[in-house]
Amino acid sequence: MKAFRPFLLLGVFGLLLFSGCEGPPIPQEVGQAELQELDLWRIGGPLYAPQEYQRYKSALSKAKDDLIQESSRLFFLRDYGEVQAEFKALLKEGEGLRARIGIEKNSRALDVDGQIAARRAKIEKLRWLASIINEGYLAGNALTKAELALAEAAHLSKQGEFESARERLQGLNGDLKVAQNALAPLLARYTDPALNAKWRRWVAETVTESQSRGKMAIVVSKFDRLLYLYRGGNVVKTYPIAIGRYGASLKRHAGDLATPEGKYSIIQKRPHSKYFKALLINYPNEEDKAAFIAAKRRGQIPRSIGIGGLVEIHGGGKDGMTYGCIALDNKQIDELFDMVDVGTRVTIIGSTDTKNEISSALTGL
Amino acid sequence: MGRKMGYLVLTIAVAFMIAGCSKAPTQELDTATASIKDVAAAGAEKYSPEDLKKLNDQIAAANAEIKAQEGKWFKSYDKAKEMLTKVKADAEALKPTLAAKKEEAKKNATAVQEAAKSAVEEAKTLLAKAPVGKESRADIEAMKADVKGLEDGLTEVQNLVTSEDYRTAADKAKAISDKAASVSDQVKQAMEKVAAAKKGKVKK
Repeated sequence: MKAFRPFLLLGVFGLLLFSGCEGPPIPQEVGQAELQELDLWRIGGPLYAPQEYQRYKSALSKAKDDLIQESSRLFFLRDYGEVQAEFKALLKEGEGLRARIGIEKNSRALDVDGQIAARRAKIEKLRWLASIINEGYLAGNALTKAELALAEAAHLSKQGEFESARERLQGLNGDLKVAQNALAPLLARYTDPALNAKWRRWVAETVTESQSRGKMAIVVSKFDRLLYLYRGGNVVKTYPIAIGRYGASLKRHAGDLATPEGKYSIIQKRPHSKYFKALLINYPNEEDKAAFIAAKRRGQIPRSIGIGGLVEIHGGGKDGMTYGCIALDNKQIDELFDMVDVGTRVTIIGSTDTKNEISSALTGL
Repeated sequence: MGRKMGYLVLTIAVAFMIAGCSKAPTQELDTATASIKDVAAAGAEKYSPEDLKKLNDQIAAANAEIKAQEGKWFKSYDKAKEMLTKVKADAEALKPTLAAKKEEAKKNATAVQEAAKSAVEEAKTLLAKAPVGKESRADIEAMKADVKGLEDGLTEVQNLVTSEDYRTAADKAKAISDKAASVSDQVKQAMEKVAAAKKGKVKK
């Protein structure tokens, strides 16, 4: 019996080595955790929850170390119970992280989309402001660049690349500022309280005159693009009009294509005009002349340029642009022509309302 | 007794020999790391980020295996070597696909860039034909400013293509194409408006 003992031990050893020596299988949670980690990376873990993702990665790394350590033990001593529990906990943590990433992504999407909507509204507002004062060329270049950046940002946001979208949005702020600065001096006239007060005073005086004398009077609002006909202090007719190419500005000299502002009168009725019928007004009045001389003295107007004249209310159509005159549709100038006389007051203003649309639009910018 | 002592010394010597014989695969590690750096330089982060991540994960796993072996009495780096060889092979297999992906991105960006150029050119041609009458002058001037913005955008696209940022270049070029098409439509409308106004005048 003693002689057989070494063979018996060798037999048992051999049996252990070649039959059940593989030990327990590696828990399935290990593979699941690896796939989960890849998935969390794909959905943007490092970007949307960097700290939590890093913690998760560290825990995964530790769990893998523990797995290697356990795997390196002799097969009959291996027990993956603790490692399995560790990976199970990790998978649970991963699911929490997935939810956290989802929340963060949604929040960023909302933020970026909100910013895109706000910038789009601002661009549209600036385009509108530019169009109502006929100065699209001043802001067009910058606004187009801003629109391109906005389109890129919207595209990136759609693809879930919110950080890149944010960068594009930041970049277009400069272009919006350029556009805003180009338009601001022209728009500021319409929101200037002192200028508005002067325009309101002119209108009040014109209406009072019309009322006291029971006569006709004309008030032209450049901002509203409307001509109001008064009789006895009341508006009896309203006509849509066109003004000068640079009509939003104050006329200062000949050829500036601006429409004057001031209190004028009809000095001649022209039944046969290049633009159907015309009512010539007495631009430049004394105030215009004084302003012109002062501007020339300051060197703001070149010596060779005159003050200009021949400003009329004429036909030709309300949809066009003039060289500084006020244009109505032919049918309407025909009607107006017969209702007014030489001497009828014509008051041209920018706007009477400080809280006009420009003001509201500028407040939002 | 002397004989037993001899066996003991021999056993200890053999054990030390076995334990000391296995050296950490530093050369394989360096080669695998270099191959990852190589694919990263070839644009893996931009054109195949997931594959790059997998390579980085694989090398991290190999490092963990080396670390685990270092703590053992009887070291065996065979598995780590195998893992590092796989990293190198995977990186080498990835490299040519990156070149293809990059070429595809370049081709796409160039095609979109050409389309954008044509669209801007068309808008410019239309603008040049547009009658700058009293009715359309402000509109035409505004659109000329828009086209100037688009031309500046085309310069940016070219810079992006030159710096091999093909994706951003393609995005920008697409936006330019769309905007140029919209400007062309506006020019056509402005021309129609002028034509209609002229027709109206003839009637009177």
